[in-house]
Amino acid sequence: MSDELDLINAAKAGSVDAFTELVRSYRDRLLRFLLTRCASYADAEDALQDTFINAYRYLHSYNSQWRFSTWLYRIAIRNAGKLRTSHVTEIGELRDDESDPLIQCIADSERENLWRSARRLLSDEVYSAMWLRYVEDMSINDVAAVLERSNSWTKVNLMRGRRALDAELNRGGPTKESEAYG
Amino acid sequence: MDKLAKQLREDAAKIDVEVSAQLDDRIRASLQGVTPERPRENLPPVKPRSMWWASSLTGIGAAAALILVMNLNGPEPVAPQNESFVPVLTPDLIFERAMMTEPLEQELEDLEADLKKAEEAVKKEIGIFP
Repeated sequence: MSDELDLINAAKAGSVDAFTELVRSYRDRLLRFLLTRCASYADAEDALQDTFINAYRYLHSYNSQWRFSTWLYRIAIRNAGKLRTSHVTEIGELRDDESDPLIQCIADSERENLWRSARRLLSDEVYSAMWLRYVEDMSINDVAAVLERSNSWTKVNLMRGRRALDAELNRGGPTKESEAYG
Repeated sequence: MDKLAKQLREDAAKIDVEVSAQLDDRIRASLQGVTPERPRENLPPVKPRSMWWASSLTGIGAAAALILVMNLNGPEPVAPQNESFVPVLTPDLIFERAMMTEPLEQELEDLEADLKKAEEAVKKEIGIFP
């Protein structure tokens, strides 16, 4: 953590190499997340690139009281949203197995990947909240900060997301009730 | 960790993603071309805070000058009449009122005449008049 802070301070002082180190430690995680939020692999790559460019450009505004990942994910979500707005497509509409960048990156399995189910059942925000909480291990505070929501909103929607995915996991298929969540 | 959380984590790990060398180069090249924005430096105050009274005096002086100038200009010129003004035609209410009350006045005169005749007839009967 202190290494990360050193790198951030060096990058703030103008060191591109220090920032490149930060990029290296976050790029795969962020790409995996963006892949689930973007319409195509190319879009996810563009969003990743924009995220790092914006982060470097506005690094002076980063407040070290927050985790760096929290700040970075916030930028990433905004960039993914911008790309989606410019393409004017809804994630749910465009995905069939051949064009879905997520399914291309998931090895064949008997059971559907839960994140794919999550994308079908949950709204974008609830999906992101679930990802940040259970994959990135963020605290409720951090998740709320990334999504720019209140803590109570985050708690309630994490619970709804869990309930929907629990039903999916136990039944092996979506239910009408679970589709209404989020 | 509960079953769902564990499953979510495992399924996320199954999403096999790695940043390609091309994308890595692209990001690095983009970063070289970016100039980080510098935080805005605090601008020095235009005037010292102890000079608030000077601002107040200037404001009062300006207000007094404005009042003086406005009073020296004399009475306000009469606004020219707008040529496109269309006068509103009002009905002749007096005439109308006369027309309406004339029958009532006539009626009153007739009643008064009848009353006078009746009075004279009564006086004649009781012998007041010769």
